[in-house]
Amino acid sequence: MNNVEAKFILQGYRPNGADAADGTFAAALDQTRRDPALGVWFEREQAFDRALSAKLAQIAAPAGLRESILAGGRVTAPAPVARGWWRHPALMAAAAGVAVIFATSLAFWPQRAVASGPLVDFAVSDALNDRTHGGHGPEAGALQAMLREPATRLGASLPVDFATLRKTGCRTMNLEGRDVLEVCFKRNGTWFHCYIARRSDFPALVASARPMLAERNGAGVAAWADATHLYVLVTPGGHAAMEKLL
Amino acid sequence: MASDVFSQLVDAHYTPLFRFALSLTKNSSDAGDLTQQTFFIWAKQGHALRELDKAKSWLFTTLYREFLRGRRRAERVTALEDLGPVEADPPAPAIDVVAGMDAGLVVEALQEVDEVYRAPLTLFYMQDHSYKEIADLLEVPIGTVMSRLSRGKTQLRAALARKEAGAAKVIPFQSFPARKLS
Repeated sequence: MNNVEAKFILQGYRPNGADAADGTFAAALDQTRRDPALGVWFEREQAFDRALSAKLAQIAAPAGLRESILAGGRVTAPAPVARGWWRHPALMAAAAGVAVIFATSLAFWPQRAVASGPLVDFAVSDALNDRTHGGHGPEAGALQAMLREPATRLGASLPVDFATLRKTGCRTMNLEGRDVLEVCFKRNGTWFHCYIARRSDFPALVASARPMLAERNGAGVAAWADATHLYVLVTPGGHAAMEKLL
Repeated sequence: MASDVFSQLVDAHYTPLFRFALSLTKNSSDAGDLTQQTFFIWAKQGHALRELDKAKSWLFTTLYREFLRGRRRAERVTALEDLGPVEADPPAPAIDVVAGMDAGLVVEALQEVDEVYRAPLTLFYMQDHSYKEIADLLEVPIGTVMSRLSRGKTQLRAALARKEAGAAKVIPFQSFPARKLS
């Protein structure tokens, strides 16, 4: 670790010492003891942070805010708790019947789809190994916000303007000379990475409008396509996390 | 919802939530509204959250989401890659200057930092959240939090220097009363 890296890490070290037991800082802290110049920098940085924290702690909430919140809380009725359908025996039995029929249908499905191919390999490898994920630029930000929404179901066409996303700063990678965009988002506490490619760039890849599911190296994978784009969604949360989004 | 539990939650968290809201909204009145709104959502939905020890992060996350919702979240997402490298060795922190400044002036300087950096920076200076908790709260990777703290501090130093230069012209920070419920 060089001093630039140490400084980068230490800027996240809280001045009240709350991070003293956090191993992430251990090597950088050790370096401040061995390198006097870095040690001086760190002392000044901590003093600056302490001064800032002290100033922020002086900001008081407006008079009356507490009372307003308490009064508002008293008149805000909790939302009624809906009784889950799974607690109704008749509906539960009906659902079980549907599940049996569905499972039987799947067993005899002529082409059980499996997500595979170079694009999927690339996406899984990138999602699990690369740390520089992120959707960037205003266009990617809008797409990211939409993907984060619990109401958005994946596995269908997405509002993607490939050229604009690429031009405005969306993370773009190169797979054998062809562009692949990536936007990451978090849902239900789990990270998902959505890879988007132009269908015309991968003419040999057979893709379905219906999501094809797979599990690779513990990661859940779903792949699907619309008229112009191929989509590969990868999550380290595995198959179960993926199914919740589809 | 037990009213005593609600009161305890309010007492424990409304001031830090207000400070966070103030840094985001840049306006005491809006910050008060945002803080109230957060607790009202709790009052309506919080019964579903059975683990009270997670209430703090739930409240901060909800406040942040409500803020984003309020100002059209897709308005601007800054691309870190677009901003050039982090300054290798930022200017020496003016500790004495900060210590002598009015707290309101320091908050004003904090409010001049780009929003994408301001949120993690404020949470960091409140010292209640580790960088890992900040990452969870803002739903960004840990490395992004580190990077935003680094860039945010650089912007904050520049803003403080500007405030210091114009200190004589600045009106001291004032608190505004919370809006009354209709």
